[in-house]
Amino acid sequence: MIRSLRVRLILAGGTLSLLFMLGLLPALQSAFSLALRESIEQRLASDVTTLISAAQFDGQQLHMPTLLPDEEFNLPDSRLLGFIYDRNSHLVWQSRATQQSDIHYTPKYDGTGTVFTHIHEVDGVEYFVYDVEVKLLAGRDAAFSFVAVQPVQDYKRIVHGLRERLLLGFGAALVVLLLLLWGGLTWGFRALRRLSIELDEIESGARDSLSEQHPRELLRLTGSLNRLLGSEREHRKRYRDSLGDLAHSLKTPLAVLQGVSEDIARRPQDVEQARVLQSQIERMSQQIGYQLQRASLRKSGLVRHRVPLRPLVGSLTSTLDKVYHDKRVRVVLDIPADAEVPMERNALLEMLGNLLENAYRLCLSEVRISLRDSGQGLELSIEDDGPGVPVDQRARILQRGERLDRQNPGQGIGLAVVKDIVDSYDAHLKLDDSSLGGAAFRVRFRPL
Amino acid sequence: MKLLVVEDEALLRHHLYTRLTDCGHVIEAVGNAEEALYQAGQFNHDLAIIDLGLPGMGGLELIRQLRAQGKSFPVLILTARGNWQDKVEGLAAGADDYVVKPFQFEELEARLNALLRRSSGFTQSTIIAGPLTLDINRKQAQLDDSALPLTAYEYRILEYLMLHHQQVVSKERLMEQLYPDDDERDPNVIEVLVGRLRRKLEAANGFKPIDTVRGLGYLFTERCR
Repeated sequence: MIRSLRVRLILAGGTLSLLFMLGLLPALQSAFSLALRESIEQRLASDVTTLISAAQFDGQQLHMPTLLPDEEFNLPDSRLLGFIYDRNSHLVWQSRATQQSDIHYTPKYDGTGTVFTHIHEVDGVEYFVYDVEVKLLAGRDAAFSFVAVQPVQDYKRIVHGLRERLLLGFGAALVVLLLLLWGGLTWGFRALRRLSIELDEIESGARDSLSEQHPRELLRLTGSLNRLLGSEREHRKRYRDSLGDLAHSLKTPLAVLQGVSEDIARRPQDVEQARVLQSQIERMSQQIGYQLQRASLRKSGLVRHRVPLRPLVGSLTSTLDKVYHDKRVRVVLDIPADAEVPMERNALLEMLGNLLENAYRLCLSEVRISLRDSGQGLELSIEDDGPGVPVDQRARILQRGERLDRQNPGQGIGLAVVKDIVDSYDAHLKLDDSSLGGAAFRVRFRPL
Repeated sequence: MKLLVVEDEALLRHHLYTRLTDCGHVIEAVGNAEEALYQAGQFNHDLAIIDLGLPGMGGLELIRQLRAQGKSFPVLILTARGNWQDKVEGLAAGADDYVVKPFQFEELEARLNALLRRSSGFTQSTIIAGPLTLDINRKQAQLDDSALPLTAYEYRILEYLMLHHQQVVSKERLMEQLYPDDDERDPNVIEVLVGRLRRKLEAANGFKPIDTVRGLGYLFTERCR
């Protein structure tokens, strides 16, 4: 199947023009041959008239002058031939050039007048013949057939030449037509091209909606797309807001319950119940947190976001520097100044926030954030100089809700959220050793 | 320490009020940002705990306004969503740390103590002034390697003076640390408490770190680290 609309239209246009020309060619050709044949007939008629007017009859015999007024009859190698026969089909006179030809035309005098025909001679040569019957002196013996003969070859050559010229002309016309068609289509398709550029801009996040500068025929399409884009954006925003409200309205009561459970835990006889209550509260809180984050951070459909990495890392490290103030973590950034990451801002913030907080919490004194383009896609690494993660536990801690240390309850969903975000962007999360001595979390994005 | 708690959920606010009071802090607990701004304008707080999801003026705006008014006490935010957008915005607005709901009180208390200590310029949870060592987390004092028995009020005065070492601290300021309401305050009580504290410190090895600055208040003269 041909996938290009332009090629399809060109092919259809070209085929139509070709069929049209193929139909027109024989019509033109036959009209031309007819006209040519008529003009040949007229010419032969005038040649015969010349012969007739030159002929003199003395009662018994027909005399022809040595030099005829029509030069063609006088020349020895003329292509125009003249014959005169009597009513019994006996040759009475022939022009000079007939000596070399071998024509066996014999007119039948029947008194019907004029005949224009064409004959095939034995040697395969074709001739046009114009035969006029003339009755002189109203006498019985003075009836003659005046015949002018011309080879068909000339006619054929002209017709052939015409045919060649027509073919050439039509060919050239077809080429010009196709070129014009191509140009016209390019002009017409420029609107689609503009639309495609605007869609690219929307995908790359440089533009919010399609412009109004499109042809009337496309406005319905662009209008619908704009409404779709707008409603998707609106929907996502409302979704996120209501998830936030939901988180608030679920977690605050949980915080109250947590407080109550701590009060209960202070009564020695109720410690066990309080412990159960607290573990259930933590489970609920983790589930709410995980499910809400995961619901709000999935990749959006159309727009391919790109976020400058440095400012975002900067705001996260300044947040964490404040929180881990006493630790005085040294942060090393190995990120090109204008580097961008193909993720939505919020998702990147959550992913990096969780990974960086891990690193800050577990490091001894140094955290390294680097971005490299390895040729197989961008690779974002967050490394620390902490204890690292034993090889046999790496797969497990990337699992949902699993964590190796339980120092800060309620935050165990961090890595699960990271994994989820990474998966939704079709990227790959790997955990290995860092040259700093601790763990290295590496997020590899698919090449664009 | 005098803390401002801003939380709209009454039960949680009450829980924080009672637990923090038990820890020896003086608590001003309010349910919205407007009241919080009023309280902050009236009193000197040592720290504020602010819920981000307040009705009306949100927690973020409250923090911004407090900072715009020149309040420099540390701010600990409580966030229900727990997402990084909130944390980053909160800390950028001027908060110093965050706790995600639901939280264990011990975690909140640890963060809080760390902030209080840090705002006084200390990086460790133990403050040392000559022979005297104060463990802020365990609320215990040690003099020459032996425990110094202090009442809760005495400990609070000593901790406040040490956190504000080499600064003159007024009696009013000390009273704010001990009593939540104006009408209970009697400057004589402070004099009595400081007098007892001095005697306990002196009895052990003649250590006399607290001076009286006449008409102004008290001064912890020993350098703390």
